Amino acid sequence: MPKLERLSAVVRQVLTSFPCLEADDTPWTPPTRELKHSNLALVTSAGLHLRDDKPFAADVKGGDTSYRVIPSDAKATDILQSHTSIGFDHTAIYRDLNVTFPLDRMRELTARGVVGGLAPNAYSFMGALRDMRRIVEETGPEVAQRLKDEGAEVVFLTPT
Amino acid sequence: MSVLARVFEAAGLATVCIAMVREHVEKVKPPRALFVPYPFGFALGKPNDADLQHRIIAAAFQLLEKPEGPILADFPEDEIPDVLPQSSGVTRNGAQSTADAADEIAGLRAFYERWVEEHDGRTAVGLSGVSQRRWRGLVRFLEAYARGEEVDMKERPADVALPQFIRYCVDDLKAFYYEARMAQKPSTSEPDLHVWFWGETVIGQLIPAVGESMQASEDPAAKAVAFGLAR
Repeated sequence: MPKLERLSAVVRQVLTSFPCLEADDTPWTPPTRELKHSNLALVTSAGLHLRDDKPFAADVKGGDTSYRVIPSDAKATDILQSHTSIGFDHTAIYRDLNVTFPLDRMRELTARGVVGGLAPNAYSFMGALRDMRRIVEETGPEVAQRLKDEGAEVVFLTPT
Repeated sequence: MSVLARVFEAAGLATVCIAMVREHVEKVKPPRALFVPYPFGFALGKPNDADLQHRIIAAAFQLLEKPEGPILADFPEDEIPDVLPQSSGVTRNGAQSTADAADEIAGLRAFYERWVEEHDGRTAVGLSGVSQRRWRGLVRFLEAYARGEEVDMKERPADVALPQFIRYCVDDLKAFYYEARMAQKPSTSEPDLHVWFWGETVIGQLIPAVGESMQASEDPAAKAVAFGLAR
């Protein structure tokens, strides 16, 4: 985002009062291998899912803390976004899914040898959650375990 | 997003994330974050600009080589101005339209189909599950809802509440209109697309009315859903 002072009063107010978790320290896992030898997984908070999967809901208090599996070989045609907020401009994603979920870019980087390989699945969560507890305690660790079981070593996270 | 990065990192995965709001990331302290100066919806810079997207990704991947963190790096690029016209900020072009939104949809259909064809079949329409053959009925349903009538559609799944179902329907209509307009006038800027939708279309007049009707509900979940329809 541009700097807060350059935003409209409404947006600035929403962002300034957003209930972020605050931390003093940071967990740290160094990559075990160079990226060109590593398996990478995409994880997004753009509220994406396969067309025939259940959309995320906007009527859950604190936000929808579930997640969806998107196979890394999915086509953009098969992916929908149910982050139906009017707080962001959807037209960029209508034009190009890579602007929030860079699956094509990852395939290109794998072909170029910059990235070792893509893990079989990407995972998608909903964004703008006001209550992250279930993410921290349940669905986040569950996806971490699935990623590890599927051989992912590096995770690239993209918002919307 | 940055909270998830912490969860994954604690579980033994190396993570790097794209960050949109610097003030939030400074609080959450994910291990490796690249701050980008773009509005929401533009995390990787610009649509259909693979070079810029690759430069952002490369800058993010460089953070994986740092020996310690947390690291919050800046992607050194010009800001894209954050201009997102909303319904309440757009002046309606002329008086309240009495035209039929269903006819308006029919008039845009050829452009919508062109958009889909030009994008290898990709469309953002599809959340509601209501077939486009039934959209005349969908428009009547929304008009009746806006008038405060008790209405429903048979396409609504049993486990999706009515306000949420309406939000999916509205999202499908928005996607249809924007995609049709982008095919009709490919040179339109993003702000102009929103000004057109909220200021000139019949549906852009109906959606705020649906939102107001929902806002009048006693149900807090309905109010939360209404806020996302139009404001």
